[in-house]
Amino acid sequence: MSGAGDREPVFPTRQSLGAMKSKLKGAETGHSLLKRKSEALTKRFREITRRIDEAKRKMGRVMQIAAFSLAEVTYAVGGDIGYQIQESAKQARFRVRTKQENVSGVFLPQFESYTKDENNDFGLTGLGKGGQQVQRCRETYARAVETLVELASLQTAFVILDEVIKVVNRRVNAIEHVIIPRTENTISYINSELDELDREEFYRLKKVKNNKQRDNNAAEEERKNSKRRGSDKENDQEPVDVLGEQEDQDVIF
Amino acid sequence: MAAPVSAYKDRHFLAVIGDEDSVTGLLLAGIGHVTQPPDAQKNFLVVDNKTEDSTIEQAFDNFTSKRKDIAIVLINQHIAERIRGRVDTFTEAFPAVLEIPSKDHPYDPEKDSVLKRVRRLFGE
Amino acid sequence: MEGLFFNVNGGYVEGIVRGYRNTLLTGQNYGNLTQCETIDDVKLQLSPAYGDFLASLPPNPSTSSLANKTTDKLVAEFRYLQGQSTGTLLKFMEYLTYGYMIDNVALLITGTLHERDTRELLERCHPLGWFETMPVLCVATNIEELYNSVLIETPLAPYFKGSLSHQDLDELNIEIIRNTLYKNYLEDFYKFTTEHPELKGTPTAEVMAETLEFEADRRAINITLNSFGTELSKQDRKKLYPDFGRLYPEGTLMLSRADDMEGVALAVSGVHDYKQYFDTVGMNGGMSGSGPGNMSGGGGSDGKSLEDMFYQKEMEISKMAFTRQFTHAVIYAWVKLREQEIRNITWISECIAQNQKDRIGNYISVF
Repeated sequence: MSGAGDREPVFPTRQSLGAMKSKLKGAETGHSLLKRKSEALTKRFREITRRIDEAKRKMGRVMQIAAFSLAEVTYAVGGDIGYQIQESAKQARFRVRTKQENVSGVFLPQFESYTKDENNDFGLTGLGKGGQQVQRCRETYARAVETLVELASLQTAFVILDEVIKVVNRRVNAIEHVIIPRTENTISYINSELDELDREEFYRLKKVKNNKQRDNNAAEEERKNSKRRGSDKENDQEPVDVLGEQEDQDVIF
Repeated sequence: MAAPVSAYKDRHFLAVIGDEDSVTGLLLAGIGHVTQPPDAQKNFLVVDNKTEDSTIEQAFDNFTSKRKDIAIVLINQHIAERIRGRVDTFTEAFPAVLEIPSKDHPYDPEKDSVLKRVRRLFGE
Repeated sequence: MEGLFFNVNGGYVEGIVRGYRNTLLTGQNYGNLTQCETIDDVKLQLSPAYGDFLASLPPNPSTSSLANKTTDKLVAEFRYLQGQSTGTLLKFMEYLTYGYMIDNVALLITGTLHERDTRELLERCHPLGWFETMPVLCVATNIEELYNSVLIETPLAPYFKGSLSHQDLDELNIEIIRNTLYKNYLEDFYKFTTEHPELKGTPTAEVMAETLEFEADRRAINITLNSFGTELSKQDRKKLYPDFGRLYPEGTLMLSRADDMEGVALAVSGVHDYKQYFDTVGMNGGMSGSGPGNMSGGGGSDGKSLEDMFYQKEMEISKMAFTRQFTHAVIYAWVKLREQEIRNITWISECIAQNQKDRIGNYISVF
């Protein structure tokens, strides 16, 4: 968008100039607002990515501990409980629900875990042997899953923010590189048109004035001339010997 | 832009695709859920060496696209590797796909699809 | 007098078992194992004892495959002994396998209940609990069929009879079924070792009575502790206690009424050993919640859990069994020791594989 010559299809009137100016002002305000939003989001985004990074590493450790607690179960039960666990799973005890968090006008979902304590599929697992380890393992894994849920929230926030930031940045860029230059172009176009008109008007006026002046001058000249001609006439006449050097003409009544 | 509430309102469950130990542990935590018969669907899949890649993909698609009650899909990283293309192209916010380590395969941040995106974004 | 004819039938087997006992890993071996950096090192350390069995493992095998291979050795040796035994010894060894059978049957029942293809379950079954008619169990597609036509054919049939109907299989939690079977099994085994005309009054009866009584008490205590906070009612719980043991009958009665850890501690206070365990666990702050779990959170080796102490005690009893002569009990003891050894190896390699070396010392070694 070179912008040069790109302008809105408006008539270059003073009214549309006003409209354009307020549009430009709006665009600039919008731009700075969006820019700030984008900055706020990016800040948040960077924070989230940092936390994701941390959380992923933490997850590595937590899952390791959890896997180890499963090893403890295997040690205590003295056998493999995997199949039995898989078959006795019926109703999820550990569930999540989604809350919303508002970050600069963007709703980020946040997972929140909760347990349905009435669903207990494995209460009797390891009844004869290793039951306590099984319970401990359940707790360890439940804690690990909580970490995972936390991480999932971050990750979802990451995905959504990523999207939102892209959109916002697109808007910022659109305003910055398209709308504002175009509006500015339009304004300058209108200005130039108006100036042109002004100049024309001025020139016309000048012309008119000139003409007027010329006419005036001509008239003045004329008048002067005629006046001069008048006075000249008088002057042309011999001075009259008013003292009677001349024969007064008889005044005949 | 935020996803409409309907996109996640009913998502309550976690799903897991993993090796036996991971699945057992996570089930112990209580995430296991089998829907009401007759179509009794499980929200977990145990993968071993004999499991076909297509089965994993199918389960992945099922958890991510078909089922609307799953909020988070957990998948062992080494299994995600097997269907890497599928995992990398999944960019929706819901459900969240998390790659988790397994007992025999410690977590490698280099391979994580989300962390890859992070790195790409920051141009590292 | 009892030793006079023992060797006619049991001498060879006993000799072999004593030989096997000497190949069990010692404290020295375990010390070496804990110093290993990788599973390969563990494999190397185990090669004198397990040589051939570990040879087929790939480099850096998973802990579970290591455990499988070590179990294979136990099974092979057990099978050999079984092949050499006759008379009451053969019967005795069959009894030994019933415990594993119960686990296998429970597994198959679970599979049948959920309409899984039970065939693939067969390979998950414990090899010691394998019985000839086991593959037949897979034929059954529903529980009633399984119960009426198939389970009746298994050696475990008597344990089902009278205490579990086919409706029970459907409705009861598999753990309750398993523990009911186990109770019946322990009682039967106890009866066999103490009342069988050929065993009565022999060292076998004496040693086995002690071992099985301990096992019965351990189960009763564990069941009680583990049932807190579950839907298992006190009446049902009582049904799972074996009808013998050092706690029986007063202790078990009190156990059946116990509501919490203190109740259990009170119930077992009549027996000095158990009381001591509870006192130790209690001192470690194990009273609250999940306290008596295995190695309560990072406490290291000094924070032994109740189960650890039970295992320790079991091992000591098994070790003592070898001080007796002319008895089948050494086989039982040997199997238990080997099982513990496998658990120890699994534990140590798990610690190494998962880089949790600070807990590595939690194995139980008695030699």
